[in-house]
Parts: sequence; structure tokens; C-alpha cells
Amino acid sequence: MWLYDKKTQYPIKITKPDPRMAIAILTQYGGPNGELAASLRYLSQRFSMPTKEAKATLNDIGTEELAHLEMIGTMVHQLMDKVPPKELERLHVDTNFVIHGRAVYPSDSNGVPFTAAYIESMEDPIANLNEDLAAEQKARATYEYLLSIADDPDVKDPLRFLREREVVHYQRFGETLRIVQETMNSKKYF
Amino acid sequence: MDEQTTLLEQIMAYDFALYDLQLFLNTHPSDTNALRDYKMALEQSENLRRQYQNRYGPLTARYLPNTTCWQWINDPWPWNNKEV
Repeated sequence: MWLYDKKTQYPIKITKPDPRMAIAILTQYGGPNGELAASLRYLSQRFSMPTKEAKATLNDIGTEELAHLEMIGTMVHQLMDKVPPKELERLHVDTNFVIHGRAVYPSDSNGVPFTAAYIESMEDPIANLNEDLAAEQKARATYEYLLSIADDPDVKDPLRFLREREVVHYQRFGETLRIVQETMNSKKYF
Repeated sequence: MDEQTTLLEQIMAYDFALYDLQLFLNTHPSDTNALRDYKMALEQSENLRRQYQNRYGPLTARYLPNTTCWQWINDPWPWNNKEV
């Protein structure tokens, strides 16, 4: 189970609305390489992890991704909050507005709703961990695309934090894969 | 930055250090240096958290201040801009 802490993992204080940037960042909420997909992937895969290190790693990185989902939702909310509808139309984000208003909905930047088809969960831990390594790299690349179009330091700062976490998670998954392979080899699984 | 935000951001910094160390310790459970750093950050975080909650109210619903009113629902929530 989880207990809620009334704070984001990293400070977010966006004072300058930017609806186009909100829609760009939205893909990290409900898109293919987003935080919701990451969290569900690891929290589902953890049930079939064979070693104590792997169980803890999937459990805890899956949990951190929920905190990242909250950070992304906070950014989207603060970038969209109170922007007048006519301004949204001028900036070409009115198609999103007429469906959801200024709410935060789990879709990608094109409005494609979140789907569990973005993730896999197999009984085979080697297959899972290799997917997880790729997922962290795809999320890192997405944050770099977002950073390349962002201007506001209040937006870039949390995006840089999130990009860095993908690199750390990739490192931890690499160590976990090595531990799982060593354990499976020593037990002569194959 | 006001005092409440400064204190909260100190807690956030220690809690982030703790979480990063937690992930590291999951794959390096015998690393005594990391374990020592974890213990140090945990003491700091708990101490600052106690100060914060006494002054500004609950960070978790499990903190029950000595009042007749349930304070957990009070603003701001983490996604609210303080100025708004």
C-alpha cells in the first residue's frame, strides 16, 4: 500500500502560463513513454521478479514514477490554469480544450488516450528488465525533446530533474538485470 | 522565498536524497557508506518534518495536531501554485 506525502518530489512553481508547452508535456502524463506507463509497467512486473533485489527495485522505481506522474500533472495544470478559451484557440490547443476543458487527462500530446498496450508484463524477468532499460532510454529521449523546445527556466528545471532520474533508473535496472542473470545461472535455470 | 517554503524544500531535498539512496541500496545492500548516509539523512528529514508539521500543519494524514478541526484538507495541495 501507499501513504501520501503532501509535497511533490521536486519543487514546481510555474508562474507563466504556456498552453502549448502544457500539451507537449502532457505526453509524459499519458503517452507511450510517459510516467503512468512506466509506473504500471514496473508495479505489474514486480509480482514475477525472482530475487529480493529485483522485487525491491521494481517496487520502488514503480513508486517513484507515481511521484513523477504527479510532477507532470502539476506542470500541465499550472501551464494551463486560467488561460482564457480564446487564447487557447489562438495557440491552437482549442481541440484539447473542447474535450477536457483545462483538466489533466491521461493522453499523449495528440490526444490519443492512455492504453495499457504501451506496456508489457511477462513471467520472464530477463524480458521484463530489458523492456525496462529501453523504457528509461525512451523517456530520457522524450525529456530531451521537451527540453529542446522549452524556454522558461521554471519549466526546464523540473524537466532536467526528471531526465536525470531516467538515467539513474537505467543504471539501477542494469544492476538488477546482472543480479537476476547471475542468480539464474547459478541455479542452472536453462 | 517564505519560511514555510524554505523549510518544505529542505525536507524535499533530504527526502529525495533518501529515495535515491534507497534505490542504490536495493542493488548494493552491503554498502556501509550508503547505509551511513541513509541514516544521517533520515535523522535530518525526521527532525525538519517535525518542525514543519508543528508550525504549518500535516504533511501526512498520520500527523494529528492538537486541534478540534481536521487540518489535512487545508490548502495548499502540491499542485496548487502558492500565489494563486
